[in-house]
Amino acid sequence: MKIIVRSLVIALALTGAIATTCANASSAKATVSVSKTSAMPAPGCPPDDPNGCGIYDGN
Amino acid sequence: MRYPQLVRGCLRMTSMPFLTLLGYLEIGLCIAALCALMAKKQWADYWSLGAFLAVRAVSSMALVYILHPVFHPLSARVGYHLYFYTYWISFAVESVLALIVVYSVFRLAMAPLKGLQQLGMLVFRWAAAISVIVALGSAFAPDMTSSKYLVAAVSQLERTQSILTLCLLVFVCFAILPMGLNYGSRIFGVSLGLGIMSTANLVQSAWVPHSRNIYCAYNIVNGIAICLVLATWTAYFALPEPKRRIIVLPTTSPFLRWNQISQVLGDNPGFVAVGGVPPGLFAPAEIEVMQRASLKMATPFPRSMSA
Repeated sequence: MKIIVRSLVIALALTGAIATTCANASSAKATVSVSKTSAMPAPGCPPDDPNGCGIYDGN
Repeated sequence: MRYPQLVRGCLRMTSMPFLTLLGYLEIGLCIAALCALMAKKQWADYWSLGAFLAVRAVSSMALVYILHPVFHPLSARVGYHLYFYTYWISFAVESVLALIVVYSVFRLAMAPLKGLQQLGMLVFRWAAAISVIVALGSAFAPDMTSSKYLVAAVSQLERTQSILTLCLLVFVCFAILPMGLNYGSRIFGVSLGLGIMSTANLVQSAWVPHSRNIYCAYNIVNGIAICLVLATWTAYFALPEPKRRIIVLPTTSPFLRWNQISQVLGDNPGFVAVGGVPPGLFAPAEIEVMQRASLKMATPFPRSMSA
């Protein structure tokens, strides 16, 4: 149990560390945006987008 | 679903009902976790997590309302405008609350070792304050609009908070047994949930670019992750928590020594008057006591004592 939990936590921390490194490397080229960990879609377009970022396309 | 579709493609129409279902499930689990927290009278210890869940539940309800045009007559442009600001402002509030959750989890985990707790909290407060200032400062660019600044600042803040959360999770995981806790403790459950959320955030920021359409396939991954986190918190708060064990440390433990040192750090020092004190500053009784003490010090030991 202890080993499983510790392995899981180390895996999470390592993934986070690698992701941070990759995001830092890519931030030189483009703006890095984070979105909520949520089922709600992340609005990536500017607020005055003429198409409303396709908000009602799926409905 | 193929990989390119997952990272940048629009959702297929067949996936939309599943995403909608995940949205409703997220709101339901948020309310369930909040109810479990309050029913177990844990508000005093976990008020920041309660506030986080309340903000998340209210903002998700507002976002679901805006997302579905059957509930209102708004045009796509107005609807998206409202959605954009509701999403990012609630995200900023949640990021700050998540930082406070990390702080309170650390405080609870270190409660038996008051000295180290105080020292750790002092370091954490400085690190968090500097991180927030750096996040707000580094998001600024000369040709920036307010909406771009909001997105950049919240993104930086969220990344900082995610890194701090993962550090806390690693600390809690390895210090949990010496602290008298176990993996059934709420402290561990809350940290684990925050850790999963932070990892999902960092992965998304590194490898998933924003598409020109609001519906990205990665939303499903995010939706499943948040439902998993909220279910974990609900279970940890609904189930009875095992009692904390007595912490026994050897007298030679460096942990104990550092705790003792930390406890006296920052104490107000005492002051000694070494000169230039006018006699009028003292009360007559104080002068009397000092005179008697001086006489005693000047008097040699009685013979009976020295014999």
